[in-house]
Amino acid sequence: MSQPNRRQTKLEPWQDPNEEPYVRIDGVTKKFGDFTAVDDISLNIYRGELFALLGGSGCGKTTLLRMLAGFEQPTEGHIYIDGVDMSEIPPYERPVNMMFQSYALFPHMTVEQNVGFGLRQDRVPGPELRHRVDEALELVKLGHLKRRKPHQLSGGQRQRVALARSLVKRPKLLLLDEPLAALDRKLREETQFELVNIQEQVGITFVMVTHDQEEAMTMSTRIAVMDAGWLVQLGTPAEIYEYPRSKFVAEFIGQVNLFEGLVVEDQADHVLIQSEATGSDLHISHAGSVPVGTRVWVAVRPEKMALSLEPPGVEQNVARGTVDEIAYLGNLSIYLVRLESGTIVRVTSPNLTRVTEMPITWEDDVYITWPNYAGVVITQ
Amino acid sequence: MSRKGFLPLGDRMTEGQMPMHLPATALLRWLQRLAYRLGIRGRGLVIAVPYLWLLLFFLVPFAIVLKISLSEALIARPPYSPLFEWVEGMYLEIRVNFGNYLFLLDDSLYAVAYLNSLKIALISTLLCLLIGYPMAYAIATADPAWRSSLLMLIILPFWTSFLIRVYAWIGILKQNGLLNNLLINLGLIEEPLAILYSDLAVYIGITYSYLPFMILPLYATLERLDRSLLEAAADLGCRPFKAFLTITLPLSLPGILAGSLLVFIPAVGEFVIPELLGGPDTLMIGKVLWNEFFTNRDWPVASAVAIALLLFLVIPIMAFQYLQGRQQEARR
Amino acid sequence: MSRRLGGLLVPGVAGLMAVGWTTAGAQELNVYNWSDYIGETTLEDFVAETGVEVNYDVYDSNDVLEAKLLAGNSGYDVVVPTAQPHLARQIEAGIYMPLDLDRIPNAEGLDPILMERVQAADPDNQHAVIYQWGTNGFGYNRDMILERMPDAPVNSWDMIFNPEVVSQFEDCGVSVLDAATEVFPMALHYLGLDPNTESTDDLAQAEALMMSIRPYVKYFHSSQYINDLANGDTCLSVGWSGDVLQAAYRAEEAENGNDIHYVIPEEGTVVWFDMLAIPADAPNPVAAHDFINFVLRPDVMAGITNYVAYANAVPASLEMVDPEIAEDTRVFPSQEVLERLFVTRVVSPRFERERTRAWTRIRTGQ
Repeated sequence: MSQPNRRQTKLEPWQDPNEEPYVRIDGVTKKFGDFTAVDDISLNIYRGELFALLGGSGCGKTTLLRMLAGFEQPTEGHIYIDGVDMSEIPPYERPVNMMFQSYALFPHMTVEQNVGFGLRQDRVPGPELRHRVDEALELVKLGHLKRRKPHQLSGGQRQRVALARSLVKRPKLLLLDEPLAALDRKLREETQFELVNIQEQVGITFVMVTHDQEEAMTMSTRIAVMDAGWLVQLGTPAEIYEYPRSKFVAEFIGQVNLFEGLVVEDQADHVLIQSEATGSDLHISHAGSVPVGTRVWVAVRPEKMALSLEPPGVEQNVARGTVDEIAYLGNLSIYLVRLESGTIVRVTSPNLTRVTEMPITWEDDVYITWPNYAGVVITQ
Repeated sequence: MSRKGFLPLGDRMTEGQMPMHLPATALLRWLQRLAYRLGIRGRGLVIAVPYLWLLLFFLVPFAIVLKISLSEALIARPPYSPLFEWVEGMYLEIRVNFGNYLFLLDDSLYAVAYLNSLKIALISTLLCLLIGYPMAYAIATADPAWRSSLLMLIILPFWTSFLIRVYAWIGILKQNGLLNNLLINLGLIEEPLAILYSDLAVYIGITYSYLPFMILPLYATLERLDRSLLEAAADLGCRPFKAFLTITLPLSLPGILAGSLLVFIPAVGEFVIPELLGGPDTLMIGKVLWNEFFTNRDWPVASAVAIALLLFLVIPIMAFQYLQGRQQEARR
Repeated sequence: MSRRLGGLLVPGVAGLMAVGWTTAGAQELNVYNWSDYIGETTLEDFVAETGVEVNYDVYDSNDVLEAKLLAGNSGYDVVVPTAQPHLARQIEAGIYMPLDLDRIPNAEGLDPILMERVQAADPDNQHAVIYQWGTNGFGYNRDMILERMPDAPVNSWDMIFNPEVVSQFEDCGVSVLDAATEVFPMALHYLGLDPNTESTDDLAQAEALMMSIRPYVKYFHSSQYINDLANGDTCLSVGWSGDVLQAAYRAEEAENGNDIHYVIPEEGTVVWFDMLAIPADAPNPVAAHDFINFVLRPDVMAGITNYVAYANAVPASLEMVDPEIAEDTRVFPSQEVLERLFVTRVVSPRFERERTRAWTRIRTGQ
């Protein structure tokens, strides 16, 4: 999982107690008839963030975004943008612009007219309008296509027009609804970085909805993981990845191996869990206090595990099994190992040597080991 | 084409009886065998059906009318001269008479009737658009559960005879009809309004009768309209009414066009409504055609009027639609 | 005879029915008649007597009938065209078969004077016999007219064709038949010109006359006036004798205080004859002859006249006709009046077109 950890150097605003939240979502609930799409969500978004709402379909992330845009009204709760309560403000008066999943480009207008549409609504005078449209199109590198109509553009070009159109008004908040979903994989990866760069250039706060955890991890400062209308976990990509607080988050973000077990020791610096699945005790060095006798799950990321043919000579954090499948992905290989308990464990290992020299192969009996800091205790 | 080969077919077609002599299934089987022998199979057959339809029910009657328009009126049965004739059993004589068309230019009646028909059709089309657009819009934006019921209500009047519906308007509009009684009872007017037997009644009749033809295509385009476009417009600071003007209206143009053509074309040639609801001074080309055919018994001139109507009206519209279709194809 | 536009439906219906007839057996008969133009039980009685199945179909204008006959293969066995000019022209076009009078013994009972009158249309009475006949005149609402003009010349064409007179009645509603063939001969006659003229100068004079009264005419229509006259929506209507009398009966029945009178103007007017004829391509000519013979039987004819209030040409039927109708000189005019009546004749197609054109100008006021 790649991460441009570009913000590590700055002080993160959500950790600064003096920082005012730029967008405040306060106890917001949205019901459609009997169905609760968004259930009592409160969260703060800070100036300059690229904030991701992540979840599967129907989790309420899009509804939340549409409430920010003003297309839906919260059933309960309030939304504040830059300190102003948005409850009574219609979409066309909000300092917010949105990039739609379908792009929603006006098919009867040229690229130029599409991008200039918002400025025309504000009666921006002609010369300035043209200048700002050109500027926005330059930003997305589409200056040469401004006389085209949307149907004459490729998918990627349309996406850029939609972006330019939503940026040109310099909104306080830019909402992106699955901004990359319609692009093919290669283009998507390129665009991820480009979008991040553009955000840094224009300095606008972005809120993005996505179902793609990789996209969320790559691009965002923080991620709100949602499920069934609930906010399940909020944190930086690293926090979410390294310390999932629930089985749902652990499984939703990246690949994970989960071992069920019973807490047998609860010390200040570690907990010890007895697991039937691995047949060994699992030692976790950094966990919070969990009462002895609690049934928990231990999550271990595949890339934190190591394989060996020889017995590793440790008692804890070890499992034994046979190699079921090997998937060679070039930069790394994925091994599926069947433990004696029947549990399948996924292990990834970087291909430091050439494949032909790979010592582990199908049907080999192997040992899986991982360090004490690798496991996470999940109680939910 | 010999006279024997052509004329009998024409004569039979004018009565619309030819296909009825043959049992339908036998005809179908014969057509299938013919198609098979010609190498039209499967997909080709499916494509051939609309063409065959067009050939049988448009081109053939059109050719017959064209033929009659080039002949001369006679007191005979049928009341026009043959176009082709065998002379001395060996010469094929073709007598083409363009006089009927020249005649149309001679008398201002035809031009005046054409123009008046265009005017009435145009105004009726506009009325249909003004009334139909809000209705189509309301249906397209209604709760999907309601839409089919609302559409049903639009189509419902078709279940009663067109003629009965137009007759009903006589009852509503006449001197002591529903409308006048209502207005007098409400104290809005003292004397009954003379609406029946006027151009106004014709506008009401045409607008009422053709309204569904306007609403249905409008509904189809409006319903297909991507709702997110309006949200995008609102998001960019556009107020709802302006969004309607700048987004919805231009994008529903194909529907407006289709609906307007569906109303305009039949309204130009409309005969029944002006005859029943119109006044003596309501001059439309349909009435002129009726007069030529029934009162003057001049089938050739009647045919010429019909052909001229087609040339001046339908062909430009068809060409326009063809170009539109090409443009839309390019957009895809 | 109600020449109503409702007949528009008729061609379609008849077209469908025609399919069956082409293959039908002999015991069938297809009659095509004016609407409201037969006795209440005439058809039932014929079916009861002969066992022939009758398909009865109606039309509302000579033009519709003629268009179908000219197209050929109409499928009808008995039709009822007006003698002049329609029957005459249709005979010229070869549409009818000569009647076999041996099969129509009741034709003996036809009034020879009247039959002679229609010989202009049908030389030697070869193709048709008189069914009913009547006059073109006008009906008026007595109270409404006298209220506006106590000394109104109610027995004269001045009521219609004199602008100074007709203008008095503009506010209570004046209607005129919408048919050039019916109105022009009357206008020409009023002007003292030949009603069957082919002179365009004469036509121009008649047109000018019509134009002078046009502003006072509420509408031109050939059937609407029956109801309007009866209801008091119009007070003066040019129309056919039977139709105006029908309006008078309706007003009487409704007891709405409208006293409607029919006038055969003293200057003279058009007399017309509706004829029974058999198309040359009739599928059931035998039954057609039987039907004509049946209709000409005095008791049957009396039943028809009692119902439709038009005159017939079977003197023997009169003793069975309701005395109120038989003695009504508006239905059966006196000999003196009869002499002032005239028939219209076929005009050349060129003149016909001129006349239709003039009529269109009058109708539309252009």
